[in-house]
Amino acid sequence: MSSETGFDPTLYARFPTKEDRPEGELEELERVWKAPTGWSRLTAVNNNYVGVWYIGTAFLFFLLAGVLALVMRVQLALPLVGILPQETYNQFFTMHGTVMMFLFAVPAVEAIGILLLPQMLAARDLPFPRLSAYAFWAYFVGGLCFFASLFVGLAPNGGWFMYPPLTSMAYSPGINADFWLLGIGFIEISAIAGAIEIIVGVLRTRAPGMSLDKMPIFAWGMLVFAVMIVIAFPAIILGTLLLELERALNWPFFDPTRGGDPLLWQHLFWFFGHPEVYIIFLPAAALVSTMIPALARTPLIGHNLIVLAFLATGFISFGVWSHHMFTTGMPRLSVGFFSAASMAVSVPAGIQVFSWIATLAAGKPRYNTPTLFVVGGLVTFVIGGLTGVMVAMVPFDWQAHDTHFIVAHLHYVLIGGMVFPMLAAFYFWMGMTSRRALSERLGKWTFWLMFAGMQITFLPMHLTGFMGMPRRVYTYLPGRSWEITNMISTVGAFIIAAGVAVLLFDLARKFRFTVKHDAGNVYGGGTLEWLPTGLYSVRSIPVVRSRYPVWDDPELGDDVQQGRYFLPGAPTGHRETIITSPVRAEPQYLQIMPGPTVWSLFAAVFTAGFFLLLTVQAYTPAIVSGVLAIMAMIRWLWETDRPVAMDEVDVGGGICLPTYVTGSHTHGWWAMIILLVVVGMIFLMTVFSYLYLYVIHPQFWSPPPDALWLAPLLLGYGGAAALAVLARRLLGREKTTLWTPPTLMGIAALALLVSVLLEFRSWVDAGLNPQLSGQGATVYAFMSLQALLTGVTVLMTVYLAARNSRGLVVRPRNNTFDLITIFIIYTAAQGIVGTLLTRLFPGAL
Amino acid sequence: MMGGLLVWTVHFFAIYIVASVFPGTDLARILTSLLTLAGLGADGYLLWWAAGAMKASGEEVQHWKALIAAMSAAISFVAVLWQGFPVVLA
Repeated sequence: MSSETGFDPTLYARFPTKEDRPEGELEELERVWKAPTGWSRLTAVNNNYVGVWYIGTAFLFFLLAGVLALVMRVQLALPLVGILPQETYNQFFTMHGTVMMFLFAVPAVEAIGILLLPQMLAARDLPFPRLSAYAFWAYFVGGLCFFASLFVGLAPNGGWFMYPPLTSMAYSPGINADFWLLGIGFIEISAIAGAIEIIVGVLRTRAPGMSLDKMPIFAWGMLVFAVMIVIAFPAIILGTLLLELERALNWPFFDPTRGGDPLLWQHLFWFFGHPEVYIIFLPAAALVSTMIPALARTPLIGHNLIVLAFLATGFISFGVWSHHMFTTGMPRLSVGFFSAASMAVSVPAGIQVFSWIATLAAGKPRYNTPTLFVVGGLVTFVIGGLTGVMVAMVPFDWQAHDTHFIVAHLHYVLIGGMVFPMLAAFYFWMGMTSRRALSERLGKWTFWLMFAGMQITFLPMHLTGFMGMPRRVYTYLPGRSWEITNMISTVGAFIIAAGVAVLLFDLARKFRFTVKHDAGNVYGGGTLEWLPTGLYSVRSIPVVRSRYPVWDDPELGDDVQQGRYFLPGAPTGHRETIITSPVRAEPQYLQIMPGPTVWSLFAAVFTAGFFLLLTVQAYTPAIVSGVLAIMAMIRWLWETDRPVAMDEVDVGGGICLPTYVTGSHTHGWWAMIILLVVVGMIFLMTVFSYLYLYVIHPQFWSPPPDALWLAPLLLGYGGAAALAVLARRLLGREKTTLWTPPTLMGIAALALLVSVLLEFRSWVDAGLNPQLSGQGATVYAFMSLQALLTGVTVLMTVYLAARNSRGLVVRPRNNTFDLITIFIIYTAAQGIVGTLLTRLFPGAL
Repeated sequence: MMGGLLVWTVHFFAIYIVASVFPGTDLARILTSLLTLAGLGADGYLLWWAAGAMKASGEEVQHWKALIAAMSAAISFVAVLWQGFPVVLA
């Protein structure tokens, strides 16, 4: 058997160990992982707590957005109903779409990941628990404030995709659009924080022996989901930034009269927006693939094909964004490519559907609530998928575009592909977090009401669309034959609501949060989350030898509970988990994890405050809030990256692991690289915007500054990177004083700062004005992005100096130092590419 | 493991750029055809390589990785071919 890290896999044969565990070991583990009580519970970072809060909040937003939908359905039930004035109706449909997509769907699946993954991978927690807590609180506070804008008439009203020019200052002069732009941009940050956590968690904290081929299918789905967030979300972050800059500073990114283009927004939005559908669907599909084997009592058929389907969806879904733009007049060949890709993306979805059907057919499924939701979801999703293939065909799309047919299609996909699977998961995993499982009898009522309501609402809506009723109209005239189907849809919506009401009643009756005394494995799942757990997750971390370890080893639960596997205690006296290698999950080192803190909560509250105060144009309080957020983050980070007294500890079976490592195999390094991929994608999208505007409106382009400017700029950026590398090397030399490397890092940050200032100066001297042309706007956007990264670099080097003054920067290597070095090198590289691009293209042509 | 899907990605974005830079021209069709042939060739090579790796590997994880690589190349082959078809549209 070969090895990935030099670890000898034959050592796994030592487990389960035979000898008794020392007295007091379990009590120590419980003490270390104990959650705060009372009001301090808000500072908890354990995934059991944060995951449940997260899911609860997402469900709250589902209910709120559902109420908006009901009111809209009443408004549309008959012609010329006057319940909602036009403006309020605009706000309602914008908020319904926005809240469902951004505040319910993505956070809900992310939340399920945070709750389930550590247990499913048998990790003690995800690797950055404070980041999870930050992501949750930012989402909670920001989301509620965002929703509250509806009550003061300031909610966004430009549709969930906020197309300019409708959302430009000329046509949306109030701050409604700003609420969307800043609110959503901020919620994306929370989603990205969660995605980084999930990627590193899945790849680096799996139980020993859980190689990629044995990884639970849910973890695969969450991994692809999180990678897709990292690639897709930067496009919308950049889009919202550009539109906000246009609105606030009059930089014409989307104004065709000054060299901008409104279609640029559509490209940026849909490059995020279509993968978003799969970002929502993949985790739900992964939940289904996890539940079906238990519900059908047989292993999943086509496991490898489903893994391939996840990966293929992850790739192909980035090639379909323009199918939302078939009516905009794109080149014919491009339209053909996007149409072909849109049809192709149904293939991986089809693979999954056939695998599920085959598993259900091969097994012995029981008539219970999760099975009903899974099968109901499957039927509904297939109908939505088929109408999706219909609208992938360009001539059909031209007819159905912006009609209620599309509304019906997207609800079939999202409810069948995400809502029903999530409700199945509610029932399936309720026994893991509640003292009592939900009622089967009420569950079946919930299902049949929701399933029937869904079909009654949305099946006739296809016809309403075919008969020509457009989307986003607040009312219609009588005599257009739209009355009957609209009334049926409204009745259906209330039937769905009745189903949700039954679920709420059941939850109120049965759900009692617990970590230890849960209802257990009611539906007979075979993966590790069904092992006995506490706040520390599992007592000991098992060696995984199959895809369904709980089924294949009936003694596993008992052995794990007796501490006969890895890490049966807390050897360093801190919270810990085992970091394993990405492919074969071989143990590498012991990660010391941070405990509860109030600082991630404060950081989230002040971050939310910064964005919201900015929206209402309270600039000074916004800046104060921003500074407080940064201070809270620094305070939370201050306690991390500290070596413990023991260099190595026995983690069970006589196997010793180091407690502090540095370099490319640390979890921190991985997180930094993923973060830089996010930043790199924002940069790449800025490059796309720059080239796009040049191709569309070259007549607005003016010559770049003199080429002589290139020398000092490249020297500045290159010098900064070189200094950072030198400082990193000097840290390892005993002869160097400990102050020399941080000082060099400070000089590197200074070099970046000077380069940005020079760059700005050169463009000002060249007469480029960001308000006069698309070129000016994008070049200044490049410089703003570079200035932002440089500002972060300066902050990082000050932080490094402060840590050094407290003796926290240790030789020969130190993680904080390594990560800041990587960040400086990236910033310098981006500066060089941006400089060369904006000065040589099209200047040198 | 994901070579095939990367080939599909490169092919898709390359033909999109070609179609956008040379809209409505024969040059776009010719370049797209050439890129499609190149993509199919790359997928064919990856498929052959992965099949060999599957045969050579006697170890579970290696075999599994080669299997996923082979399936990824196979699905990419079909996708690239499908993606190239719009050039024959009038």
